[in-house]
Amino acid sequence: MVFDLNKCLGCQSCSIACKTLWTDGPGMESMWWNIVNTMPGGGTPRDVFSHGGGYRDGQPVPGKFPAQREYGEAWDFDQQAVFSGSERIPLHPRERDGSTPSWGPNWDEDLGGGVYPDSFFFYLQQICANCSKPACLEACPREGLYRREEDGIILIDEERCNGYRFCAEACPYKRIYFNPRRAVAQKCIACYPRLEAGVAPACVRQCPGRVRHIDYMDNKEGHPHKLVNEWKVALPLRPDFGTEPNVFYVPPLAPSAFNEGGEFDDTKRRIPAEYLREMFGPGVDAALETIEREREKTTRGESSELMDILISRDWNDLMGPFTQNPAELIRPPVTR
Amino acid sequence: MTAVTASRIVGARIAPTKDGPLGPLSAGWGAAVEVEVPLEPTPLEVQPSAYVRTAWADRKHGVTPSVRAAAAVAGGVLHVRLRWKALNPRPAITDNNVFADACAVLFPLDGKGAELATMGDAAHPVQAWHWRAGTAIPFVIQATGLGTVTRQAPPHGVSVEATWNADEWSVVFSRPLEEQGVPIRGGANVPIGIAVWQGALEERAGLKSHTPGWLTLEVPA
Repeated sequence: MVFDLNKCLGCQSCSIACKTLWTDGPGMESMWWNIVNTMPGGGTPRDVFSHGGGYRDGQPVPGKFPAQREYGEAWDFDQQAVFSGSERIPLHPRERDGSTPSWGPNWDEDLGGGVYPDSFFFYLQQICANCSKPACLEACPREGLYRREEDGIILIDEERCNGYRFCAEACPYKRIYFNPRRAVAQKCIACYPRLEAGVAPACVRQCPGRVRHIDYMDNKEGHPHKLVNEWKVALPLRPDFGTEPNVFYVPPLAPSAFNEGGEFDDTKRRIPAEYLREMFGPGVDAALETIEREREKTTRGESSELMDILISRDWNDLMGPFTQNPAELIRPPVTR
Repeated sequence: MTAVTASRIVGARIAPTKDGPLGPLSAGWGAAVEVEVPLEPTPLEVQPSAYVRTAWADRKHGVTPSVRAAAAVAGGVLHVRLRWKALNPRPAITDNNVFADACAVLFPLDGKGAELATMGDAAHPVQAWHWRAGTAIPFVIQATGLGTVTRQAPPHGVSVEATWNADEWSVVFSRPLEEQGVPIRGGANVPIGIAVWQGALEERAGLKSHTPGWLTLEVPA
């Protein structure tokens, strides 16, 4: 998949689509297999990229699985007290132990980074990236995870999982959750039952911003192949983690920074290059130049395949072979 | 009474209680001989995943030095009691990074031949009764080597009762002698292994303290 960080509104439709479809079962209350966080920011869990895992020089890096409150619990809200109590009190989320939360999904929304007037942020969406070198699968001592041959999707076998959570420690992106009711690990399943029916994942199909592109990477005409391998504008997140993720990001192009006189400094963008290189690797500078160059072409009235792909005027183009409308799977459309 | 001998658990035959299986604190245990069984950490180098071997290279595991074990048969039901000190009890999985205390007894399924250190092999399967704090029903698992553990769905005839008492766990596994599975008959000498996990140290999977070899469980005739 490819996610275009220039287009994400942070509306969380993707998060809600996934939540309502998959993670409403017992023990899943706190799970958000799809997350969208403001970057720079703490992410989910807090300090998301600081908990180890992944690989360094080909060797596994020990990781931690942060406590639930670092992800954010499924808070209780005392609506009764707010609506019917004798005192005026605001709606206040409570953790399981009654305490006030100190972190949650999207907690630091829109705070971002930088110093005014060069403040900046973008929204970063994350799902399981079904890595080609999956630290999770390789960490499990009992083959509790496996990769599907047909599409490379990595799944947790809940019959085999014993809840050891080495996978959750090993994932450097912290995309594996734990279900305490069933004592098994759980994570994004790439909506594989939908894929098998030709339907795009819920997060892809629900996105109003047309942020997400999906297709098989070996389809040379597909968007992911073109964006990753031909135009080279789609890059892995934190490639230094060594897991070779298969979700790629079109990095965010930012306006020029300001100089001390308050004028535009065209030599610098508002999002620092060092930060983007840390997030997306050394290819990010060339990727941004390509995007800017192709954007200027269309400004001049010329055509650009890259801009056509990124815009995707026909929504179905985003979804590769997965354009089946789920609403019409069982009940075909009425034709006049 | 605790004896010095640590390679045999001599089961006592005691009268059945009217309250059902023998619990951890039942007075009937007074008739059984409890032995102190030394335990060792499982070797790190045989852990089946490079991640575990790397992440635990500098961490202590298998720190439980010994477990006290006793066995009794009452009313055709075998009871095996394990007692050990938990550093910091973990009575349940309450968070992502919280691991419950646990213990298990292991038997060769065919009565002989299986190697304990490898959890059996393809030709010599083993069966374990595994208790994890916070669960009321024990797991009955089968293995044919490290990393091959599969769970048997209940009913499987094994029950468990556990008590936390001051500073130690007291866990009793019970199974009717005639139940299917590991052959345990009156008068038999049954190989048995024991394992303990300290949840406070995040021990789980192959990171545990275990008997380095088989003990002999002498089932009363």
